[in-house]
Amino acid sequence: MTSALSLFQTKGFDSTTTKAIARKAGIAEGTVFNYFRTKEDIALHFFEQEVDQAIASVRENPRLRKAPLEEKLFALVQAQLEFLAPYEKFIGAAFIHALKPASPLGIFSHRAQELRHRYVGFVQELLDESLPKNQHTPLSFLAPEVFWIYYLGALLFWLHDSSPDKQHTLAFLDRSLSIGVSFLKQGKR
Amino acid sequence: MASQKNTTTARALGMASMGAGIAGSYAGYLLQRVFLGEAKGKIKLKSTHVRAARRMADEMQALRGPAMKLGQMLSLQTGVLPDEVLAELATLQMEAPGMHPSLVRVQIKASLGREPEEIFKQFTSEPFAAASLGQVHHAVTREGQRVVVKIQYPDIRRAIENDFILFRTFSKPAQSSGHIPKSAIDEIEEQIIAETDYLREADNIEFLAGRLAPLSFVKVPNVFRAYSSDKVLTMSLMTGRHLEDFLAQRPSQKLRNQLGANLFELFQLQVYKIEALHADPHWGNYLFNDDAGISLVDFGCVKYLSPEAAAYLRSVCLYPGSTDSADFRRLLETYYKQAGEKLLPGARRALIDFAETFYRKVYPPHPDRNQLFDFSDAAFLRDFLSASKSLFRTKGVITEFIFTARAEMGLYQTLHRLKAHVPTSQIVKKCL
Repeated sequence: MTSALSLFQTKGFDSTTTKAIARKAGIAEGTVFNYFRTKEDIALHFFEQEVDQAIASVRENPRLRKAPLEEKLFALVQAQLEFLAPYEKFIGAAFIHALKPASPLGIFSHRAQELRHRYVGFVQELLDESLPKNQHTPLSFLAPEVFWIYYLGALLFWLHDSSPDKQHTLAFLDRSLSIGVSFLKQGKR
Repeated sequence: MASQKNTTTARALGMASMGAGIAGSYAGYLLQRVFLGEAKGKIKLKSTHVRAARRMADEMQALRGPAMKLGQMLSLQTGVLPDEVLAELATLQMEAPGMHPSLVRVQIKASLGREPEEIFKQFTSEPFAAASLGQVHHAVTREGQRVVVKIQYPDIRRAIENDFILFRTFSKPAQSSGHIPKSAIDEIEEQIIAETDYLREADNIEFLAGRLAPLSFVKVPNVFRAYSSDKVLTMSLMTGRHLEDFLAQRPSQKLRNQLGANLFELFQLQVYKIEALHADPHWGNYLFNDDAGISLVDFGCVKYLSPEAAAYLRSVCLYPGSTDSADFRRLLETYYKQAGEKLLPGARRALIDFAETFYRKVYPPHPDRNQLFDFSDAAFLRDFLSASKSLFRTKGVITEFIFTARAEMGLYQTLHRLKAHVPTSQIVKKCL
């Protein structure tokens, strides 16, 4: 997995073959197939790890339990971006693949949908913790799905952000989440 | 000309549609707070401007950005705000959005390379005060020293730059008429942008710490360079009370007089001897102690005067002769020429009038022994504001003195609140 990511980052996702991955890892190509059928599987596994680790980092942080909703959502997205940061170049290529309908990495592929459900489910949990259940409105039912799209947009913003230490992205996340949560709460009045 | 106009307009439109979006505008943040009714206490701040805040309408929030500094100039000129609010404006702070602990952690890690808990023995994740463009946290170093860590809101510099692009475009008519000189906007922008560099602030602290050493009643923090960067500034913890808290203790007249004299000497020494001054008179930047000691805590806005400007101020202050004399007029004209500004007849009259109606009263050139000026009477503040307005109206303001003038107004406002009696001219004589 590490060898594959390193090659995706340096040689590019499209130019990397499973053979090259096996060579870099010092194992037989057949051994790679024991775990992953294609390089897209490796990439998907990486994104599953990204989401799972980010969810775990928010769940396991005792201080965040009492934090306001915008901070929890910020911590979630920031944990994802920190996980992705070493492989920024590859993420850009994967993003383009994700937009192709037939690609296994595509946002409508079966595994990508499962991943999305897991993510959206967690966002729903965070909303339920912060907003009382008896006050649900159409806006709050839609919010987790909208957040998934927001995350993809934030990822694109981050990929294009050339400011030192990604300062533009930090300000964008903080301000947009603050506005979004304000609207969500106002919709409940 | 047409193409230049198009470029500027295009820039402004581009800014409006993109830059001033979610995160690109400082003013946008302030308006967001007003329109969305965001909780003002997102971070629990010790309010250092309770009185000012109480007096101001909520809409005035929008003036607390860089626009505030421009707003001061404009309102002085047009007289749209009551004098009292104008004086209070000088001491308001530029606010930045509050940062939650998760954002603070990211900002420190991005700036210093490690998590706050790895850098410090203890780090309090909740801020205890707002700072210009950021917020301040308590911490303890690995060596056990109690420090404060000032952390800047991300991307604030770009947000301010964007606001200035927009302001420059919309204020073109006022610039053409000479009411808001381009040089004044340049000066204000340059000074505010400088405040976004905390390493420069660290330099300011060390510069002033050395120069202010002769004043035993002034304390300046130590900078911890190893834990500082352009966006994070670690300094030793200073003690003392903010003006509101200090006054709430009902200090004696003697203590208020002593503190007033100390504040006054601090200002005069900076202008005449050091030729650089701590130019942000926000009350949160001063801490007062029961022995009339003053701790300075924020050095983002330090104005360095040119030698010519400082020499001019020394020559006109306590001018012994008549302000209507040819010699005094020559002093004014010589300096305006040096500064590259034209001294119009109206402005010359306004300056002479300023010297007569305000400076001669507050700073008598031939004071009696132990003559004190009573700052409790608000009349002197009204005189100062009215003379300042005349100077603005007659286009006599020198760009270099914009920040000095604001600091001066802040000083008078604080002395007035202290109801201090101060031997003004005697102190100035010591500093010349």
